[in-house]
Amino acid sequence: MMSFVRAPRNKLSAWLGVAPFLVFCLAFEIVPVLLLLSGSFSDKNGAFSLGNYAKISAPIYVRSFWNSIQISAITAILGAILGLLIGYAIFRLPSPRVREALIALSDVTTNFAGAPLAFAFIVILGSNGVVTLAFEKYLALKLYPTFSIYSYSGLVLAYLYFQLPLMILLIIPAFAGLRREWWESAHNLGANTLQYWRRIALPILTPSLIAGLVLLFANAFGAYATAWTLGGSNITLATIQIAFTITGEVLHDPGAGDALAVVSLLIMGVCIATYQFANSRARRWAR
Amino acid sequence: MKERPPVLQSLLVALFITYMIVPIIATYIFSIATQWDITLMPEGYTLEWYQTAFDHPYFSITLTNSFIVSIAAVLVGLLFIVPTTYWVHTRVPAAKPLLDLLMILPFGIPAVVLALALIRVYSFPPLARSPFLLISACVIFSMPFMYRPVSNSLMAVDVHTLTESALSLGANTLQILIRVIAPNIMPGILSGSLLVFATVFAEFTLANLITGASFKTFPLLLVEFTRRDGRIAAALSVISFTVAWLASLALLWVGGRGRKPTEEALGAR
Repeated sequence: MMSFVRAPRNKLSAWLGVAPFLVFCLAFEIVPVLLLLSGSFSDKNGAFSLGNYAKISAPIYVRSFWNSIQISAITAILGAILGLLIGYAIFRLPSPRVREALIALSDVTTNFAGAPLAFAFIVILGSNGVVTLAFEKYLALKLYPTFSIYSYSGLVLAYLYFQLPLMILLIIPAFAGLRREWWESAHNLGANTLQYWRRIALPILTPSLIAGLVLLFANAFGAYATAWTLGGSNITLATIQIAFTITGEVLHDPGAGDALAVVSLLIMGVCIATYQFANSRARRWAR
Repeated sequence: MKERPPVLQSLLVALFITYMIVPIIATYIFSIATQWDITLMPEGYTLEWYQTAFDHPYFSITLTNSFIVSIAAVLVGLLFIVPTTYWVHTRVPAAKPLLDLLMILPFGIPAVVLALALIRVYSFPPLARSPFLLISACVIFSMPFMYRPVSNSLMAVDVHTLTESALSLGANTLQILIRVIAPNIMPGILSGSLLVFATVFAEFTLANLITGASFKTFPLLLVEFTRRDGRIAAALSVISFTVAWLASLALLWVGGRGRKPTEEALGAR
């Protein structure tokens, strides 16, 4: 067929069409991040040095990373397990309209993050929050001081608010990919429900589960606004430490900031790469 | 598949709805309560906190600033991403993996790291700590939200045939893009624009670190009040939630969300 679209002939000029966008990305994303990387390996005079990485082995920085990893892992695992169960409950609802409405609710609520969400949690679970008061009145359960919305325990609850719907949105398409015929064939061959789940359904869902886990982990690891609104400087997380190197609330040391940022990028990079890989595996079963 | 006990199923769904809705509803009620920290239900209702918030000198400034940044991010996104995506789809399919990679990168860069990187490089005027730098950062941060729906829409319509027909009728590339392609991928463009708008409007991290006090946005004012006066903070939160609700409703109405990959759900954490 004759084609007016000059794809192969005019390669160079065709690539030029992508240039403006590439330049924008280079200027405001790639080059700044690469400079951060090189900055992290330089001393004050620009010579190669591992000094910045030695600096961030100080206990405060190690603890901030450890806290970030713990919060991210806990909320990712809880979010993935609860999301799997609730996602399945939603997926199996008999009414398609209710199902669609709940998926829409998940869509909306994953976007309710950051400062207003953190404040909403203070309203219900602050020391005078309505849920705190209700627990005390009806269940004779004093949440404070064991639990505090301004501490790590509160952070887990607030993060779950955006982790849970994200997992549900991720896992429902995977449930939709489980074909009825597979259950029927397994059943005809004499498998019971448990065997079907263990030997067929879960292995098929595994890539989606792993994709969900790492995406949730990355989602929590990069978070800043929610934690900053809830705990301020009482909460020691990697992102909060990096922000301090900008706002100068602690000793201003650009080199250490670069090194912290690079370690964070490394952790995020591993998550995103794993997500991409797991997701491509999961898509094999789609449609 | 064997039916699960419906009780357990309903219970899970009910708990989920409760968890998702209670914080939001409580904030709406808190914002109109005279006092709500000793009793289980508010002692009375008032609109005073909204009045105080509206009267605050920074209220309209920060709201305007947030609208400026969000709308600018949408416009820059439309200007760069829509033509580039179209171009790659029709003329340079070889660049598609590169474009896909560029659109995944922002997910791997936490907002604090992006802010740090940009502040380091653009430490000179007029860019240093300027609204322009903030808008550029927001465009980078939100570009996957624009890209996905636009790219999906482009794949759903036969862009090649449309392009060839328009070319054979003597249209140039700009005419094709504006008068032929854009109307055909309008749902994608609208979805992308709404997603970018909602995300950037709620964005706290980049604004706090890049411009800070020199160009305060709405979420910055909100965080300030969470520490000073909870009632005003509640009124401001309600306004934020309402903007997010409206954007989501508009998205549902546009109908571009049905096939959306979940990565898009990542936003202003």
